[in-house]
Amino acid sequence: MKRREFIGYGTGILALAAVPSLMNAKDYRKELPDVWKITNDAAKKGASTEGIDAAIKAIFGKAVAADGSVGLKAPEIAENGAVVPVTMKADNATRIALFESANPESTVVIFDVPKDAIPEYSVRIKMQQTGTVTAVAEVDGKLHRTDKTVKVTVGGCGG
Amino acid sequence: MRIKAKSKGGKTTVKALLKHPMMSFVQAKKAGKPANFITHITAKVGDMQVLEASTSQNLSKNPYLKFAFKGDAKGKEIEITWTDLSGKSKTGKAKIK
Repeated sequence: MKRREFIGYGTGILALAAVPSLMNAKDYRKELPDVWKITNDAAKKGASTEGIDAAIKAIFGKAVAADGSVGLKAPEIAENGAVVPVTMKADNATRIALFESANPESTVVIFDVPKDAIPEYSVRIKMQQTGTVTAVAEVDGKLHRTDKTVKVTVGGCGG
Repeated sequence: MRIKAKSKGGKTTVKALLKHPMMSFVQAKKAGKPANFITHITAKVGDMQVLEASTSQNLSKNPYLKFAFKGDAKGKEIEITWTDLSGKSKTGKAKIK
């Protein structure tokens, strides 16, 4: 007796419910809470980028030396440290983050670039004193970094 | 919040001015109040997410934000939502011109 074993490949399609991307909202305050506590050494008065380096490592998992390849616009001299305009841009970046060496904590903002969003952002930041502003972009898993010095004539942390 | 969004040449640019004291820990200590600042901002057009930012007290008071995304979205609505350290959230909407 032949027994036909019919193995049927089910035609049921495993339907993946279309989850709006907001469900996967990336909030680094929840995901990497310690990053926001990484500080700049106050004694160095803005002159050291160690706090920036540490934050980069904590967010991206590795260090990156400044190679000037991330578009970073910031004034050479900021008259008002309370409002320093900064623009960062990196083609094809999936993440762009901004740091500074002038304030107590070094991380300013982390952008996750959604599909079809353009990796170019303008913000206004506070700088307590003269220091370095750093933009890091992640493109295809590789990191790029640009550092820029911003001289601050009137500090802007309410101090 | 104030939002200006415009589509031109296959690209939509958004400028937003969020209203928030963005009180840093240093400022809070001086004022004798709890620190509070926006920590997360998202924006979407329909179901399409166009912005995802984790922010800090290092942004200026009443944060200004300019960002863009591909595509002509004229006539559609953009929705921007922020959440702050205290857990408060606020959403603003605007028609894209």
